[in-house]
Amino acid sequence: MSNSNKDTNNNNPQSDQNRGNSRRAFFKNFGLIGAATAAGGAAIYSGFKYEESKPNHDFVKVLTSDNRLVEVPRDSIKDIKVDVNRLQLQGREGLKGHRFVMVIDLSKCRNARKCISACQGAHHLRPYEYHINTLVMQESPNTAPYYMPKPCQHCDNPPCVAVCPVDATFKRQDGIVLIDNERCIGCRFCIAACPYSARMFHWEEPLMSVADKGKPYNIELNVPQKKGTISKCLFSSDRLREGKLPYCVSACPNGVYYFGDENQDAVTNGTTKVTHRLSELIRENGGYHLMPELGTKPRVYYLPPKNRLFEFKDVKDKTLEDQKT
Amino acid sequence: MKKRYLSLLLIVLISFRLSAQEWVVPAENGAKLSPFAFSDSTRKAGAVLFQTNCKSCHGDPGKNNAIALVPPPPDPASAKMQGNSDGALFFKLVSGKGPMPSFKNTISSTDLWRVISYIRSFNEKYVQQIAPKSGIAGAAENVKVLLTWSKETNQVQAVISAMKEKRIQPIAGAEVKLFAKRYFGNLLIDEARNTDAQGKAIFNFPKDLPGDSAGFVQLSARLTDDAAFGEAKADTTLAVGVPTYRPPLNEQRAMWNVVQKTPIWLLLAYIFTVLAVWSFIFYVLLQIRAIYKAGINKNQDTIDS
Repeated sequence: MSNSNKDTNNNNPQSDQNRGNSRRAFFKNFGLIGAATAAGGAAIYSGFKYEESKPNHDFVKVLTSDNRLVEVPRDSIKDIKVDVNRLQLQGREGLKGHRFVMVIDLSKCRNARKCISACQGAHHLRPYEYHINTLVMQESPNTAPYYMPKPCQHCDNPPCVAVCPVDATFKRQDGIVLIDNERCIGCRFCIAACPYSARMFHWEEPLMSVADKGKPYNIELNVPQKKGTISKCLFSSDRLREGKLPYCVSACPNGVYYFGDENQDAVTNGTTKVTHRLSELIRENGGYHLMPELGTKPRVYYLPPKNRLFEFKDVKDKTLEDQKT
Repeated sequence: MKKRYLSLLLIVLISFRLSAQEWVVPAENGAKLSPFAFSDSTRKAGAVLFQTNCKSCHGDPGKNNAIALVPPPPDPASAKMQGNSDGALFFKLVSGKGPMPSFKNTISSTDLWRVISYIRSFNEKYVQQIAPKSGIAGAAENVKVLLTWSKETNQVQAVISAMKEKRIQPIAGAEVKLFAKRYFGNLLIDEARNTDAQGKAIFNFPKDLPGDSAGFVQLSARLTDDAAFGEAKADTTLAVGVPTYRPPLNEQRAMWNVVQKTPIWLLLAYIFTVLAVWSFIFYVLLQIRAIYKAGINKNQDTIDS
């Protein structure tokens, strides 16, 4: 731009000379205009440089994963696309070479309900929405009462999966029965088919539906939960993938839960972290399945409530009241 | 006078009751000291271990959010917990009592000391005393564990040796544990054994422990006394297990499986039904055509005649 200015400056004196002005006047004008142009150009250039260098971005407040609030320039934010397909594929496929089993020792359960709260925390459920629940049991008036944690039994012959009309609920190679909330149409056939009442339905907007909005759906965690669909115990398949024990198992303070792999004939206690032979544990303690007569072949074993470690409170205690409401 | 005796008796009884609830630690265990100095790195490692193994009962240190058990698990920052000597804490972690589990076979003693170092970080007055180095401790880095398996006897042999006085010598009388690695933890094989004069410890391996498809099992032998030997251990994979292959659970054809895994009878019944219905429809259509044709022919016949 300054160049073109100079050109016009050069042209002007020529025409001036033609009109008969003095050489002195020409130099005077030339000098003045040239200096002004140089100064103006420099000012514009330095202004441009300044604008370029000064931190002119908008800042956005961002909460980091280690819970610090930091400011980041808006233009340095990049959208990361999580491969949703990967979550779906790995969730459908399951973990190769494993057959997961759970053993629940009824003699140790004191109804601490830590398993329930850990599960609800992980899967974004309300206090009255259960993937696992501890029931107050008394078979008949003359038999001893006991507490019974009851998750999904992850049957090897699952009636719930057989009735699903849209292939939303399925059984994986490692034995886990999962539900795909993105396929589920909410017909609730599976709830009707399940003899263990292990499934729940999202009648209302899920607890963290606003906070979870836009998060990639993890089929192994059922988060974000979706209104109008089924949710159920997942044996914490997201944790198993990392080689960790399920949420409920590691939260139990009383050593009720054992979890492991039938193929390796080993189960690990969630509280003491001691590993036992599955076959020995079942044989020596008289382990059993719930309702084996139905032929559902559950993957959850129970050890009978003998020599219970706790005093059973009156049956009309708080838990029962909770369950009624 | 009688009343005074009675009240004395009552006091004695109460104190007995209180002491019955106390967890008595044998003097020699209580005097045990950590083999290493507590540092930021041990506290950090201890914090991770605490989160996974202790927090579910004892809660967060200093927050008094332990769960309600009988007896109540003390808060790690509380005077009750901090009143224990290092050795007493170690003893309690190892032995366990009532609802407190024993971590003897699940957490190595080095890691237990790391947990203790984390617990001590909540006590500002704490000054650590370190155990004096024992005779063999100098050889700690050189301890070698060698695992072999004899097929005839189905026994796994661990040979422990260390560099002492510039010679490789067997370590006698050291307690060794053998573990088989499983997906969520380590399975104790046989029981803890002491090495003989040749530094050998022999474990009877169970005949029915499943290995991978070729029978391989990851074994890990550890020396119990970390203070003397450091974290000496050997991880070896040996073909000691029963070769196990179990097909995926969703491989068989079943009603509940995906479309591709439909039971054959169902598939055949379905195809047959569809074919039957369509062939009936075609049959009816063909019959209509035949009637139509017969009609045309008849008309033709009447016109012709």
